Amino acid sequence: MLNNRVLPLLLLCWPAGAQTPAAPAAPALPSSAATYVGSETCQPCHEDIYNAFLKSPHNLINKEKWRNWATRACESCHGPGSKHADSAEASAIINPAKLAPEESSRVCLKCHLNQPTHIGRIESSHAKNEVACTACHSVHAHGPNGLVPRKMAAINEQCAGCHTEIWAQFQRPYKHRLPEGAMSCVDCHNPHGSIFMANTQAYAANETGCLRCHGNLRGPFTFEHAPVRLEGCGACHEPHGSANPRMLIRAEVRYLCLECHANLPNTAAAVKNPPALGGVPPAFHDLYSPQFQNCTVCHMKIHGSYVNGELLR
Amino acid sequence: MKFVLALLVSFPLLAQQATQTAPDASASSPTPTGSEWFTGSIDLGYRFTSIGGDNDVYRSVVNLGQGPRLLGLDFTIVDPKKRLFDRLNVRAYNWGGDPYNTVHLDAGKQGIYNFNFDYRDLAYFNLLPSFADPLLGTGVVLDEDSYFARRRMSDFNLDLLPGHHIMPYLAYGRDSGEGTGITTFYSDVNQYPIADQTFDKTDNFRGGVRLEFNRFHVTLEQGGTTLRDDQDAYNSTTNYGNNLQPYFGQTLSLSGLDQAYGIRGSSIYTKAMFTASPVSWLDVSGQFLYSEPQTNVNYTQYDTGNLVLQSAILFYTGEQALGFAAGKQPHTTGNVGFQLRPFKRVRILESWMTDRMHTAAAGQFADTLVQSSAGTLLTDSMVTPLASLLALNFNQEQVDVLLDVTHKLTLHGGYRYTWGDAETGDALVAGPGQESSQMRQQTGIGGVNFRATQKLSANVDFEGTASDSAYFRTSLYNYQRMRARARYQLTNTLSLQAILTLLNNQNPLTGINYSFLSRQNSLSAAWTPSKRISILGEYTRSTLYSNIDYLEPETLGSETSLYRDNAHSATSLVDIALPGYNKLVPRLAFGGSLFISSGSRPTTFYQPMVRLLVPLHKNIAWKSEYRYYGYGEIFYQYEGFRAHLMQTGLTISR
Repeated sequence: MLNNRVLPLLLLCWPAGAQTPAAPAAPALPSSAATYVGSETCQPCHEDIYNAFLKSPHNLINKEKWRNWATRACESCHGPGSKHADSAEASAIINPAKLAPEESSRVCLKCHLNQPTHIGRIESSHAKNEVACTACHSVHAHGPNGLVPRKMAAINEQCAGCHTEIWAQFQRPYKHRLPEGAMSCVDCHNPHGSIFMANTQAYAANETGCLRCHGNLRGPFTFEHAPVRLEGCGACHEPHGSANPRMLIRAEVRYLCLECHANLPNTAAAVKNPPALGGVPPAFHDLYSPQFQNCTVCHMKIHGSYVNGELLR
Repeated sequence: MKFVLALLVSFPLLAQQATQTAPDASASSPTPTGSEWFTGSIDLGYRFTSIGGDNDVYRSVVNLGQGPRLLGLDFTIVDPKKRLFDRLNVRAYNWGGDPYNTVHLDAGKQGIYNFNFDYRDLAYFNLLPSFADPLLGTGVVLDEDSYFARRRMSDFNLDLLPGHHIMPYLAYGRDSGEGTGITTFYSDVNQYPIADQTFDKTDNFRGGVRLEFNRFHVTLEQGGTTLRDDQDAYNSTTNYGNNLQPYFGQTLSLSGLDQAYGIRGSSIYTKAMFTASPVSWLDVSGQFLYSEPQTNVNYTQYDTGNLVLQSAILFYTGEQALGFAAGKQPHTTGNVGFQLRPFKRVRILESWMTDRMHTAAAGQFADTLVQSSAGTLLTDSMVTPLASLLALNFNQEQVDVLLDVTHKLTLHGGYRYTWGDAETGDALVAGPGQESSQMRQQTGIGGVNFRATQKLSANVDFEGTASDSAYFRTSLYNYQRMRARARYQLTNTLSLQAILTLLNNQNPLTGINYSFLSRQNSLSAAWTPSKRISILGEYTRSTLYSNIDYLEPETLGSETSLYRDNAHSATSLVDIALPGYNKLVPRLAFGGSLFISSGSRPTTFYQPMVRLLVPLHKNIAWKSEYRYYGYGEIFYQYEGFRAHLMQTGLTISR
């Protein structure tokens, strides 16, 4: 197994980093003369924030010796505060909220980069689109929701704030139950990034995240329906919402099927230049007869069959 | 269109989303303050419903019923002595008969553990007469392809030693479903709608360890799943099926059926992931993912009636079929990427990914036909070997360069090459039963991110792809995808956002001629004209145009499949703080959503609502809500419904 070979190597590659925490990269300072003064220095002027911060999950930093931030939680993000404490000028200290998104995120990534959350960050469309961490996370917040909304309705509300066109799709009649608060966007998408299309979550290592709730469609089937594996559920379903029953991407099932199943059988010439997958159905399919207008009436095991190659049983 | 405009006018401004709730007592987060060890709220009520039109479609789309409900429960316990936990949060919604029950629990002790539990019980009802009733035109509705099922999902996660360098974790999840429905029993020439019953459950066990250090992190995880999936279909009355035409002078029928699938499965999976920042100008990450699900199935089928084997025009009265099969699907995914910052203003992102899956399955299917009236065995057991394969190799390489031209402007350019091949079909016989295909795509990527001021920002993303080949006729081929977004805070109380998305996909190959264009334009506003009033609104116009050639199976003549979907969607929420008394402030909220579409399936769906919250005491409020659901389809008018829902109850908070 690859992990048996590579991971020990990786562990060996950074032994120093492993046991001897390197000094954290100092944030850009407004002035090189500034020094650390400790969080308690901030309290008199910023009492509300200070008191709220004591209940925040981030208060952990005040006790953390790992990155040498103990008693310096405020300055772990805002940089050394001596100049600001002396002058009380806003320009004398870093305000991450006013930095460019990449610079702002770098402040967070000083601690959070090397965490499992950030697997896939390099591929993330949020990172490439300059969406800063603070666009979703409230750094000083406290309470049961912590630094980011936890209630499903609140998560959806936050995502919909930017993705309004997606939220509009959930106003259609056939949709996943997000507006009802039974699901949230992060059940299917990983906002921090993922190597899978549209930042989707994975299930059981590398299987499609849809299987987390639709385990009965997982297989492996004796006879697979190729698009399910090759293009995913979105080949036939519109997961955010549709006017069509079963969230299908077409109003009538026969067209959904025939748009792919319209290739003549493979020929020898096709070996060099393979056509698209999906052969035309046999000629007895009389599309003028209602019996043949909904393919899944007969091919009811459309996601894959355990015993029949035509997906009939 | 007039109706749309009338609705737009009736909602003072289109709102961001219907689910956005007024900041009432139940919506606010119970925040522990001072010495309060317990804070929370409970929301109890009774819902009255009045439904007109098609109740089955109402249940398929909305499915909210009448009766007493626990609408919400939300509490936090803070243990000042921090014995078992520092803080425990519980949230539960929609209990007492609603179709979407949820519970979530978080508990943790700093540096010792974090535990969370999530449970959902979702009921799915689906009975749409227009969806799969071949005899609908004759007035016969057999409720084909309908079901009533529940899916229950439980997840337990326990992280140990959070905040330490080495953090073990354990997790368990169960996804189960059970239900009944109407499926189809397929027999040559005819199909018979029959009752079925399903039960499935997947257990997912996993455990691992996270190693987190300043310059790198590694996560190692090992997991496994087990699957049980039982499906039974049965019939004990004379069933004439969907084909009422005599076949060679005989009326076909099914008089008895017992069909059962017993599916058992398991899998192991492994995850190894790392991130590293060996030097200040380089971040590296990668992962290796491997899973190997497998299944075994036993299939039995006993059926009686007047049935026919079409290939031999052989009528029979009884059939016994037995099948078994086993399948395996090793699936490997690998990825490595890095972000390089060679200069202060330049970021280079490189990522490579491969995904390889190979499904192989084999089994046997034995079928015996009998003529019971003569007591004869019509056929010896017809044994058919079952074997198939599906192989997929997918690869992707992408490089992106981000350039911070100024503090306010970032440019983004990149290139992606995607390639793969797939093979599917009968594993035993090469030839027409096997298909293979390839995919080659080259994509150019561009984007601009402009942050003019804190109040004005805009970004545009674009990618254009040229393909040499694709897996399917409807796959993305030569396409352009674009998303533009602008946000402007006009005043301190009013902010606006506009979004434009576009996908244009063309496959000009002979016999395909696929032309697809999808556009979504969205405008939203958030306005707080005074401390007492807030207004959210959103309007989206979406259009979808799709044309593709296909072959008519009977004649192999070329036809065109057309699909159109032109839709208006809007949501709104107006929240007003009414004049108060004794520091208690009643609130009125109204808004809702509408969806109106034309094209291949013209549909209307309205969901307006009004909510009134009247505080009776500092800890008790009376809350009432009225919702209307109106659904209609022009082509299937019998599927429309109109539902009035009135909900009233008390919110008690501490």
